[in-house]
This record gives sequence, C-alpha cells and structure tokens, in this order.
Amino acid sequence: MHEGHLLELRQITKRFGGVTAVDRCSLELAPGKIYGLIGPNGSGKTTLFNCITGLEVREEGEIRFKGERIDGLRPHQVARRGIGRTFQIIRVFPELTALENLLVVTWESFDAAHHRARELLRFVTLDRLQNEYAGNLSYGQQKLLEFARVLMTDPELILLDEPAAGVNRTLLNDLLEAIRNLRAQGKTIFIVEHDMKVIMDLSERIFVLNYGKKIAEGPPGSIQSDERVIEAYFGG
Amino acid sequence: MSIFITPAMVGQVVISGLLAGALYSMVALGLALIFGVMRVINIAHGTILMLGAYTTFWWFHLLGINPYLSLLASMPLMFLLGLLLQRTLVTRVVDAPELSSLLLTFGISIALVNLAQLTFTSDLRSVEFLTGAFLVGPIALSKSRLISFGFAVTITLLAFWFLQKTKLGKAIRATSQNSEVAMICGINVPRIRLYAFGIASALAGAGGSLVAVIFAIQPEMGQVYTFKSFLVIVLGGAGNYPGALLGGMLLGLVEQLSSLFLTTQLSEAVAYVLLVLVLLLRPTGLLGGRAR
Amino acid sequence: MRKALLAALVIGSILLALYPMVATGYSIRFMLQLFMWVALAQSWNLISGLTGYVSFGHVAFFGTGAYTAAILVTTHAWHWAPASLTGGIAGVVLALIIGYPCLRLKGPYFAIAMLGLNEVMRVLVSYFEGLTGGGLGISLPILYASVQIYYAMALAAIAVTVTAYLIISSRFGLRLMTIREDEIAAEAMGVDTARYKLYAFLLSAFIPGVVGGLYARDQGYIEPLSVFPLLTTVTMIVMALFGGKGTVWGPVLGAVLLFSFQELVWARFLYLHQILFGAIIVFVVLIMPRGILGVIQQRYHLSRSL
Repeated sequence: MHEGHLLELRQITKRFGGVTAVDRCSLELAPGKIYGLIGPNGSGKTTLFNCITGLEVREEGEIRFKGERIDGLRPHQVARRGIGRTFQIIRVFPELTALENLLVVTWESFDAAHHRARELLRFVTLDRLQNEYAGNLSYGQQKLLEFARVLMTDPELILLDEPAAGVNRTLLNDLLEAIRNLRAQGKTIFIVEHDMKVIMDLSERIFVLNYGKKIAEGPPGSIQSDERVIEAYFGG
Repeated sequence: MSIFITPAMVGQVVISGLLAGALYSMVALGLALIFGVMRVINIAHGTILMLGAYTTFWWFHLLGINPYLSLLASMPLMFLLGLLLQRTLVTRVVDAPELSSLLLTFGISIALVNLAQLTFTSDLRSVEFLTGAFLVGPIALSKSRLISFGFAVTITLLAFWFLQKTKLGKAIRATSQNSEVAMICGINVPRIRLYAFGIASALAGAGGSLVAVIFAIQPEMGQVYTFKSFLVIVLGGAGNYPGALLGGMLLGLVEQLSSLFLTTQLSEAVAYVLLVLVLLLRPTGLLGGRAR
Repeated sequence: MRKALLAALVIGSILLALYPMVATGYSIRFMLQLFMWVALAQSWNLISGLTGYVSFGHVAFFGTGAYTAAILVTTHAWHWAPASLTGGIAGVVLALIIGYPCLRLKGPYFAIAMLGLNEVMRVLVSYFEGLTGGGLGISLPILYASVQIYYAMALAAIAVTVTAYLIISSRFGLRLMTIREDEIAAEAMGVDTARYKLYAFLLSAFIPGVVGGLYARDQGYIEPLSVFPLLTTVTMIVMALFGGKGTVWGPVLGAVLLFSFQELVWARFLYLHQILFGAIIVFVVLIMPRGILGVIQQRYHLSRSL
C-alpha cells in the first residue's frame, strides 16, 4: 500500500449468482486527477462503482479510502467520509423542490446549507427553478441538479456514472467545464462514460474493464492504441 | 397436549398435513400468479374462494348432484369473475405502489363479502356429502378430505402442465420474469394479465368448492385462506411457482404437526408467526426467489 | 395567510375546549371518536405518508395499547390516564422489537409483514387467556368519563398533529421523504435510512397505543376482534389518503370528512355503508391517490405544512 493514494482497490470481486460481474479488480487513484473507467456494456463498471460506494457488498478484496478500509460500510457511511456519486439513471427526489434536493444531503446548519444550496443552484443555472419540484424539471435540468447535489456534500472523490448520457452539446460543454473546475480545486473525479471523445478529452488516466476484469490502464493516448482495448470493443 | 406421541399419531398428522397442504398449494398458486404477473397483492383472493364455496353449496342444494361436479361450475364462474375484476379495476393498479393494490383489493373484498352477507346471510352453511373415513392401519383418512386432496392435486398438476407446455402458460411465465422484455418479444402483456387473474380466480374458486365439502361456509371464511396463501408465497419465494407447491405442503405439515404439541388456538397462530419469521429471516423464500 | 390560519386554529381550539359544556352525550362521543380517528390517521401518516413504507397492520399498536391499558386498569387498579400512556409505550416497544428487522424488507413484503404482525398479536392476545380473558375479552369497571376522554383524545390528536408539523417542516422530515422518493439515492447521499425509518416508525406507534388505551376505557369492553381489525387499519389509511398523505393537515381533513360522513349518513344504512366505503376506497386509489390537500399543494406549490 503506497501512501498518498486517495482510493485503492485490491482484488475486488463481485458475483451475482453464477455471473462474476467484477473479477479481481485492482486500481489506485491519486488525489487531484481525473480518471476514466470504460469498457463494453456489461463489463462491470457500474457494479464497481456500487462496490466502492457500498451499494453492493464485494465478495472478495479490499477498498481503502485515504488509507482507511471502507468495504463493508453502509452507503451513507461511505458518503459521509467524502465520496459522492451520481447515477446512470437520474435519481433526483421528484416530489422535493430543487432547493430541498440539495438541503437534505448536508449536515451543516440550515442557514449555512441554504446559502450554499442557492450558490450551487446558481452555479448550475437552476436558481430560478429552486422552488420547482424536481420531478417537473427537464432531463437536462435534472442532470444538472443531480450534479449540484453531489457537490453539496463537498466530497473529495466524485464518482460520475455516465454524466454525458442524453445531454446536448452546450450543456455537455458546461458540465465538462465544471468538472475541470472541480479538478482545479483539488477534487478527484472518476468517470464512467461511453462517449469516447469526452473520456479521452477529460481523463488523465483511464482504466478499461472487460467481463469484469481490468484489461488495461494508462493515459488516453496509450489506451486508444491498445490492442486489447480495441479487441474488447470490436473484436470477437 | 399429548405426552406420548406414537408413530401412528405422527403418521396421521403427516397425512393430514399433506391433504391440507395440497389445497393450500393450489390456492396459493393462484395468488402467486397474480403477484408474479402483475405485482398485485390480492387481498380479495380468499373472498373469491368463498364465492366458489357458495357456488358448490347452492349447486348441491338446488340440483342435488354430486358437489364435486360443481367444480365444473365454480371454476368457470370464478374465472369469468376474475376477468371482470381485472378488466375493470385491477388493471389500473398493476405496477402501482403496493398501497394501491392493497387498498383496491381490500375494497373489492369488502364489497363482495357484504354482497354475500346480504344475499346468502351470515348463517353457517355446509355440504353434507361424504362422511366417514377410510382406515389404513391405525390411520384414518377422512373421505371428503381425501377426495378433495385428489382433485386439488389433479388441478394443480394440470395448472403446472399448462404453465410449462402451453403457449399461454409460457407467456405467463415470461411475463412473470420480466414484463418489459416480454412485451418486446411480442407478448400481449395486458391480455396475459387478464388471463392470469382469471386463472388465479378459477384456482381460488376450485379451492372454495373443495373446502365446502369439508368445512362450514360463511361469508368471511376467505380471509384466513388469503393469509395462508400469503404465507405460502413467502415460504416458496415470490414469483416461484414450484415454490408455491412446496410452500403449501410445508404449511400443511407444519400446521398439523404443531397441533400435536400446541393447543388448537396456538397452532392457528403458527401460520402467522411463520409468516413473520420467514419474512424476517429469509425474505427471498426458502427456495429463493426474487428479493424484489 | 399564515396569520389567518393561526387565528382560526386558536378560535377553533377554544371552541372545542368549551364544547363539552354545551353538547349532549352523543355529540361528545361523536367528537371523541373523531379525535381518535384524526390521531390514528395522522400517526399512520408519520410512517407511511412520509417514508412510503406501508404499515398495513398499524392497528396492531392500537390493540396492544388497548390491552395494556385494560389489563392495568382491571388487574392493577391503575387510573386510565397513566394506563393509556403506558399503552402508548407498549406500542413503541412493539415497534422497536419488530421495526428493526421488518423495515429492512422491501415495499410489498413490509406491508405483508405488518399485516401478519397484526394477526399474530390478535392470536397471541386470544391465547394468553389468563392475562387477557382470551376470546371473551376484558370488561373494565364502569366509569362515566366521556368528557375527560374527550379532552384526552383531543390532546392526543393535537400532540400527533403538532409532531407531524414539526417533522414535516424540518430537515428530518425532508430526509424521511427522501426515503420515499428514492431510498437508494437517499442512502448514497449520506442519509442513514435504517435509523430514520426506525425513528419514524417508533414515533408512529406511540399515539395509536395511547388512543387504544383511551378507547378501551371509553368502550368499557374490548376483545381481540374489536381492537385488531384490518378494517381499522384500512380506515385510517383511507382517511389519510383522502385528505392527503405526507401533509400536515391532510389526515385531519380526511378523518373529519370521512368520519362525519360515516356517522351522519352511512351508519343508518349498514350494508350500504360498507359498499359505499368500498366505493370510496376505489375512488381514492384510482382517481385521487394524492388526496385533496396533496393535489392542492402540488397545483399551487403550497407548503407541505399546510
């Protein structure tokens, strides 16, 4: 175990019945960088995220965050330690207003929370919709709201599950800008994404999964020309 | 409470358990179909059983023919009632939050029970057809229970053959596993739901007929069968049709066995306690099913 | 708007406090039962309206409280007031015992488990004849206390409504609602859903226990079938739904409307009443699952603590 790693996964294995969704995955994230996680459909990316955040309990392996073991913790405990995530399918709280969606996730005083929530809503340009029920927002607006919500807890590590899915070009650029901003602030981002252009542009280092196994890792350039990756996507 | 438990007693109890169990399995299969295909918790299931029982009663008292033949009336009648209920009401709470289906089926149940009280009165009725028992060694097999058992087994086996071998049956099983995929595969899911409810009601009606020759009939008799069907489904795992079979047998056995050691009152509670216990310890059922 | 509501509340409270001095015995008992239903519907709202976990056996707490209080009054000569409070505590204890394991169950299974729990309690109470009189029930010593019970029930209804107000207008209440909205997301956002669910469940079990004890005193006689009926659970649910679950005043409104209607109109035609009730259930479920206040609140973006 090296010092200085923000997140460390060792031999993480997760099985569902007869299917091995994640197969002895190991990886390390250093703080302050943007990481990508790619792989064909069904390669275990979201399951890996679920293991990290505690939504799934891994069968084997260890997960360490800032040196402390977090595998086996309940999801809310993982969240409180500084790991935030968004979901593949948007999970806002539909019958709460946009503002309330943000207010529920923090533990600071109500006033301080209000202040920050409004700021964040302004940041994602949703401030005029703060009293609208989240369920009434458009897809893109909900995506922004979910993004703002994960920032509300001020996490050190942010897991984004397909942030670009279904998002139009302008909104996407705003999102990417925001992600780069967060990195500049010292946060670590880990992104699962199918949009190759987005991943290659953003990430400093990419991990590739196939059938639950990590088959490659490296900077975008080397990944793009890696034979194993190409085969995983197009071969067979 | 007995101090000496002879093998004969155990044998008697086991046989009684199996006899009762087959009935539970058949009725619970119906409830399993409804929950599996539509994710609806049907509190009115026992009420339909009650209507089947009354069908048999009136069949026997007005026509004087063998009450077991009333199955030819109660099953189709309840099938049609099921179709009607599904078409008009239940279809609207399919895939809805469980509160909706609970309340709706409760409302249906109340309406039907009250209708029964109005038309049939709450007087206890009975069908006296077969009395006495066959004696096999030290074990007494009540004739009526034995024949009911026979019919229950036959009907259940037919139901399973239907589910396994026929096109409609396979469609039903497919829809139970994943209704969205079933729809994509071209299965007319609303139609499947309609038939599933009808078949389930027919099974409940059959249960009522077979129970009518053994026990007393009154408008509120159905509730306990609804609960027991819940238990069977929980035991066998939701959406697990063979599980319902085993669960029913298990319930029958446990009930009868517990009557050896406990008073009759407490052995009633056994079903409910078992329900809560299984839900807490193995919510996916003893045979495993979907945790959903 | 706020001030008008507050003024109405104060005036209403004064009127209700003075009511027993001018009213007949029948009217007092009418109001007393009305308060009871308000308390029940609101209690159910605390767990099921907010967290979405359908307590389909909530009357179990009522029955447990009724029997606890009845036993204390008859066998140990307690006064009915502390006996009823103890009934409330009994409800909470029951909720604590089964709440922790049961709340781990998903939607339909939780509902069925609660249903099963109610039946288990009913049969257990029937079984322990020495303690509870079994199927014959418990008769309490004769006492005319309608006016005191009136005030006690009113207090219970007020207490649970105030609790609802405090919860729904707080972040605690918002967090409970996230459990209803999307439990997985709530958990992932740092909400300890297990703990919050349990708190709401415990809170929701107290008043039904108290009110059960008061009911036992008022009726003078209880038996398993009278205090553990599924119909009572369904009635309190329908009242909460009709008025609007998840809001503060919804259950109050629903209880007032439905109980008044029931007493004044239906009770005269017994079987018709049952069938009409069935119709109301169907109506609420299919046409207006949000309830009156739920619809109004959504439409006009009003506060939930309305």
